[in-house]
Amino acid sequence: MNVAFDLFDCARAAGTRTIAVVGTAKNVGKTVGVRALCESARERGIAYAITSIGRDGETSDALDALPKPQLTVPPGTIVATARDLVPRSPACEILGLGDRSALGAIAFVRVRATARFEIGGPPTASGVRRTLAQLARFTDGPIFLDGAIDRIAALAGGDDAVIVATGAQSGATVERVAAIAGDLVKRLSLPRDDGTCRDAIVIDGALGPERASELIARHAGARVIVSDPTRVSVRGKLFEQLIERVDLRTSAPILVVACTVSSYGRAGQLDPRALVHAVARATGRPSFDLFAGLAA
Amino acid sequence: MIADPLTYAAIGGIWLEAALAPQSDFGRRAAMRERFYSPGEEVAAGERARRTVALAAAFAAPALERVREAIRWCPDPTAIAARAGAGDPLADVDFFELGRFVDALAFVRAQWPVDVALEPPPALEPIAAALAPGRERAGFYLADRFDAELESARRAVAERQAVLDGATSVLEASVSAAVGATVRDGEFILMRDAHAGALPPNVRVTREAASYRACELVYDERTLAALVARDAAAAVVARVEERARIALSAAIGAHARAILTVTERLGDCEREFARAAFAQRWGGCVPTYSHEQIGWENAVYPPLAQALAERGRAYAPLSFAWPGVAVLTGPNMGGKTAAMQTAGFIALCAAQGLPIPADAAHVSIVARITWIGADDRDDRAALLSAFGGEVVRVRALLASGEPTLALVDEFARTTSPGEGRALLVALVRTLVKRNIRALVATHFDGVARETQTAHLAIAGLRHALPAGPARDLDAALAALGEAMDYRVLAVGPEDEPHADALALAALLGLDPELIAAAHAARARQRSDAPPASNG
Repeated sequence: MNVAFDLFDCARAAGTRTIAVVGTAKNVGKTVGVRALCESARERGIAYAITSIGRDGETSDALDALPKPQLTVPPGTIVATARDLVPRSPACEILGLGDRSALGAIAFVRVRATARFEIGGPPTASGVRRTLAQLARFTDGPIFLDGAIDRIAALAGGDDAVIVATGAQSGATVERVAAIAGDLVKRLSLPRDDGTCRDAIVIDGALGPERASELIARHAGARVIVSDPTRVSVRGKLFEQLIERVDLRTSAPILVVACTVSSYGRAGQLDPRALVHAVARATGRPSFDLFAGLAA
Repeated sequence: MIADPLTYAAIGGIWLEAALAPQSDFGRRAAMRERFYSPGEEVAAGERARRTVALAAAFAAPALERVREAIRWCPDPTAIAARAGAGDPLADVDFFELGRFVDALAFVRAQWPVDVALEPPPALEPIAAALAPGRERAGFYLADRFDAELESARRAVAERQAVLDGATSVLEASVSAAVGATVRDGEFILMRDAHAGALPPNVRVTREAASYRACELVYDERTLAALVARDAAAAVVARVEERARIALSAAIGAHARAILTVTERLGDCEREFARAAFAQRWGGCVPTYSHEQIGWENAVYPPLAQALAERGRAYAPLSFAWPGVAVLTGPNMGGKTAAMQTAGFIALCAAQGLPIPADAAHVSIVARITWIGADDRDDRAALLSAFGGEVVRVRALLASGEPTLALVDEFARTTSPGEGRALLVALVRTLVKRNIRALVATHFDGVARETQTAHLAIAGLRHALPAGPARDLDAALAALGEAMDYRVLAVGPEDEPHADALALAALLGLDPELIAAAHAARARQRSDAPPASNG
């Protein structure tokens, strides 16, 4: 069984142009998930494009200097990365320039010979949306977006399939990791507002703990609308209470299609089989351990 | 700087700057190279204005806008040219940007009308030719044609990569068969409950865990040799590619000066086109220069004309002239301030060699323009009263010694009328004595007569304003605009300024009883006043 193919097929089944991978924490195998998508596409002979939200895929982790995986991309791939990160060799075909970033304008390149990339995409949500739109003009294939949980706002307003990467780095026990993943998937998967409720409370901006407490206390049963799920910054039990007491909806839902798990964290190791099953149960999404070749 | 910030704002300098604002980096740099013309440079200023008028006449407005738009979207190759000129090897993204610049330049030249005296920026054919092998499609690629060895070096890498891929596949297959799981290059996990036995020789454990072992492949001799061969071939490609970039960078660098010249030319063109667009929009004449009499016919103050147009109201162009110093009188809201703003705006245009927004104009180029009015306190003088602020600015005006146009708007109106008038009379006499060109607006009576200076007056109300208050402010302004004759007329020194303040206050809705009381007080004032004297 090749679980990378299963993950790829699961994401492609959503029918979206963009497949984004976001992590619940750093070092939970997000780039491994992106790499699995890339390799599955390559082995199927499907040309694809790739970019990231901000800088990722660094040669070493900016916090602890441990090595991180780079992406090796085959000929025909379209990459959007900061111009200073475009490798000098082997030479790539430069197709265009886009938004600015700290490392120079985003360069759109076509890979002509297999090359290793550090990908640094646009750091802003609007820049990511523009970059994805430009990538769509250069390729008919899928576009992979290497995301980051702290820059998840870039997913708002897009037509993307989202894969949530989680792992031992985000919690000390299988239950805790699964709970965090379940919480995130629930938040991102708020139902779409159908516009039928005339008395709905529309939240302008972020929905934080204070506002959530007020809604729970004073507006039980009300329909509450956020512009997109990334505006909800309420976590854990408070979030559970919120969605129990009010009809929380969004104008722009996010489609979470699958999860990946990494049983190894810098602080410890969890049982891979238990973890992949727990995450699948907590999120209600197909879940994959790409190292162990497990799926649930 | 020709005017301090307060003056600059008062006479429409900020508006003019925005109207001429460059959109490209070239234009911004060109704007920084520009300076105001000084007294004595009238010929050069006039010649510049003449070129702008000719350009505005030769270009149809849509064509002018197309070329401006094309320049706006030109990428700026200045930094790339500078680096290439200094001998730095460029990156492929740099070559791409240069290619886009060459394309944009060609587009700008294609838009250029044939019958315009202004020459288009030259094409950069050597740059286009140098980049051509990499520009078979819209982007840029360091193609094989850039170096004789490039094709063979790249072929060698591809061949050795295929050998490495084959060797890796064989290794993966043999290890997969041995452990009963799909094994791929890189880290993988073997679950202890599925594979508890000894590992094959080409697998190394990288991490032990209770339920699994994290492992990675160890290359056999064949795979390792293929890897070494592939990397060696890749190193050759890297070296040859860099050699090609250095050669191409040198070819670009040889024309770096030409690239920089073209960017300067583009900047100058953008500035000229902005000026021409201004002339097309607001009309523009080449002025004559005079140190004696300055004036204009049908002059427009564009910031006000535009603001009125946006509210659906008409603007009345102004025609007036004056020698040296003139006193300007007229009713409230009759346009005294607008007349002075027009004078300041025209002086600003003249100092930039811009066509004057008028049918004809006699102007003088001054080194400074100074506005003195009740609202001219800056931050430094914030602790002063309105009058104190005016005095500080008058002191600076008289101390400057430069050829100046002074625009004095109701100086000393906020102090006691007797002393205020005396100060104004003394100021006008000093301006005359020091040969400072000035327009002095005031409500004080008899200043022109007492100082023996020219007297200009707003024509004033053509007919009585409607009795009683208007429906609202817009209606009041419309009624006032319809009744007011905004012309500036040369009048005799004995002519008294119009006194329409009470009618205006009534139109704007002031309590009728209060207005009636004011009329009565005014009548008593006139009957009590001693006969006017020339002394």
